[in-house]
Amino acid sequence: MKNITEKPNIKAVLTIAAATLLGTNSLAHAESNTFETEPDEWKFDTAILYYSEADRVSAGEAIFNAQKTFDTEEILNLKLTIDTLTGASANGAVAQPTVQTFTRPSGNGQYQIAPAETPLDDTFRDTRVQLNAQWTQPIAPDYTASGGLHLSKEYDYLSLGINGNIAVDFDRKNSTFSAGFSYFKDTFSPEGGLPQAFSSMLIGDSNADSWDDDFSATRIGSEDDKTTVDILLGFTQVINRRMLMQFNYSYSTVDGYLTDPFKVLSVVNNNGEAQDYIYESRPDSRVKQSVFAQSLYHFDTTVLDVSYRYMWDDWKIKSHTIDSRFRIPLGDSFGKESYLQPHFRFYQQSAADFYQPFLIDNESIPAFASADYRIGEMTAYTVGLKYGMLVNNGHELSFRIEYYSQRPTDAGFDEIGVLKSVDLYPSVDAVIAQVTYSF
Amino acid sequence: MASPCEVIIQTTDKALALIIGNRVTKEVWRIEDKYNRYNQDSLCTLINNNAGKPIAIDEETYQLLVFADQCYQLSDGLFDISSGVLRKVWRFQGRNEHYAKFPSQTSINTVLPYVGWHKIHFDRQQITLARGMEIDFGGIGKEYAVDRSIILAKQLTEQPVLVNLGGDLAVSGPRYNNETWQVAIEHPDVDSHINQNADMIISLKSGALATSGDAKRFLIKDNIRYGHILNAKTGWPIANAPRSITAVAPQCIQAGILATLALLQGSNAEQFLTEQEIKFWSRR
Repeated sequence: MKNITEKPNIKAVLTIAAATLLGTNSLAHAESNTFETEPDEWKFDTAILYYSEADRVSAGEAIFNAQKTFDTEEILNLKLTIDTLTGASANGAVAQPTVQTFTRPSGNGQYQIAPAETPLDDTFRDTRVQLNAQWTQPIAPDYTASGGLHLSKEYDYLSLGINGNIAVDFDRKNSTFSAGFSYFKDTFSPEGGLPQAFSSMLIGDSNADSWDDDFSATRIGSEDDKTTVDILLGFTQVINRRMLMQFNYSYSTVDGYLTDPFKVLSVVNNNGEAQDYIYESRPDSRVKQSVFAQSLYHFDTTVLDVSYRYMWDDWKIKSHTIDSRFRIPLGDSFGKESYLQPHFRFYQQSAADFYQPFLIDNESIPAFASADYRIGEMTAYTVGLKYGMLVNNGHELSFRIEYYSQRPTDAGFDEIGVLKSVDLYPSVDAVIAQVTYSF
Repeated sequence: MASPCEVIIQTTDKALALIIGNRVTKEVWRIEDKYNRYNQDSLCTLINNNAGKPIAIDEETYQLLVFADQCYQLSDGLFDISSGVLRKVWRFQGRNEHYAKFPSQTSINTVLPYVGWHKIHFDRQQITLARGMEIDFGGIGKEYAVDRSIILAKQLTEQPVLVNLGGDLAVSGPRYNNETWQVAIEHPDVDSHINQNADMIISLKSGALATSGDAKRFLIKDNIRYGHILNAKTGWPIANAPRSITAVAPQCIQAGILATLALLQGSNAEQFLTEQEIKFWSRR
């Protein structure tokens, strides 16, 4: 008698046979699959995100994520992100009681800012395509390795990256230790080239014959790059059947061109009136470190997710982030297995040591200076709500809406003359809307 | 079905529960009336009574026969829906008669020629049994009815539903809040007062489970215990098989056939399921 156990794929044959018999022919849609994993199936996530700052930047983003788990537990993840950015961004100069004129970063044309308005450069228009590929596989019992490639391309920006990670499970998989690194090389080639640090913005008749030569005198080249090395150590611990904790430490060094070529500083006289606009200058290296702790707690039905991050760097920026989400299942009353998830995030950062909202004429120019509000002192918070449910065939559909408010604050700079009458630290409010569909 | 059957619906809508209950009952009776060989008006009886002649069949019957054929191929002939005639010589009774009813090899040999799926011809339109043969959907019919019931219930509602036909059962999905269904499997020694409370509780979120084997129907000869699962090739019960196997699978019909195929492996039953990575419970 031939032994039936020699046939290894009885389960698979029966799955097909049963599906044929019951008319649930498409196995991909077999609704109740109790076999432990679903090897060789692709899983897709798609999301559309819309971000809009009041009077400033709007961004649209489409994400397409495909993940395939092989029966030998390797996981291939491919992610394509496309975003478009349009609108206006603060150029770094301070508001004035008078009309101000600025030259566009490309050197092609000028724009004017009304009195008391924060100067915004409205030429931001870019499309970014980002590709990420990640391969994860078990390499030995309790050891998982992962490696990935990153490519991001914008009109004036190219970013290439690689990463690797290894994770070790121990204590019956109740604890996981992981170590990872990543390396990125970014090349920046803005239209109009890179400005000379602290050179004055050329303002005048851009149709004049001498304009192009004068403009290029403020430039140091057409492109530059920076490299980033990140090291991440992580530890995850299952505390009990309801609670999970995670701790991370990261060390990141960035070298190269870290200046924002689109940002300037106003040089004001003793009465606070702008005399000149000079291009900003930042150090060519930055070392960032952060510690992160996260806790997931599963109540009877709800799940609370709270995390805290402390980041510090050698630009003397320190930041605190508290992020929390609370998942509330709604049962089937508002869509199958629907849930609501409120989100609250609080962020607070101190200014970089070379941050200056403006420079004063006739005072000595420091080695580095930037008026970019993003490295100034600020407080920001996000409140949001996500609503998700299962639709046909167990696919998940979710909607997220969030309100983001960023409030730059005065880090102790004297406001002089006319600057007392304008808003030096305008806040930014934004709305984020996202729709996600997983199948 | 000769065993307790139930439909459990997690809902506050009484009318809906009634509709689903009625619809499932109707479907189960339809399958019972069509495929029960003891029912004189069933298609199964018609086929059996006309062995030797082609009998017209519909698509549903054709699909069931295709499934039975695949089980026959997969089990290398051990599982055979034409093996029912062997019951003419094997009588598995209650425990007081374990030793009484062993047939002689001679009497087994008289019915063996009427067993053999390969002697049956069927296509999409008709089936022809060799003279003296019978087929029996007992090994797959109940599980098929469970799966059909779940399909119908899911068409009517998104509320969680469990259909249980005498211990072979399936669920439409998890209960509210993604909670599992708690299913108790009766301990085989139901007559024994010692293990009365030893039912096993199984958590089920999706899919089905089915039990094959019958703790109370067996024979003992020369200290070997024979369950009521017969080897279609030898005409003898499988020796050293577990008393019963309960298997979990996405569909009830899969779970049932996996449990039966395992029993047909005798002492290797558990190994067979372990190698196929099937979740199961075995009782010996």
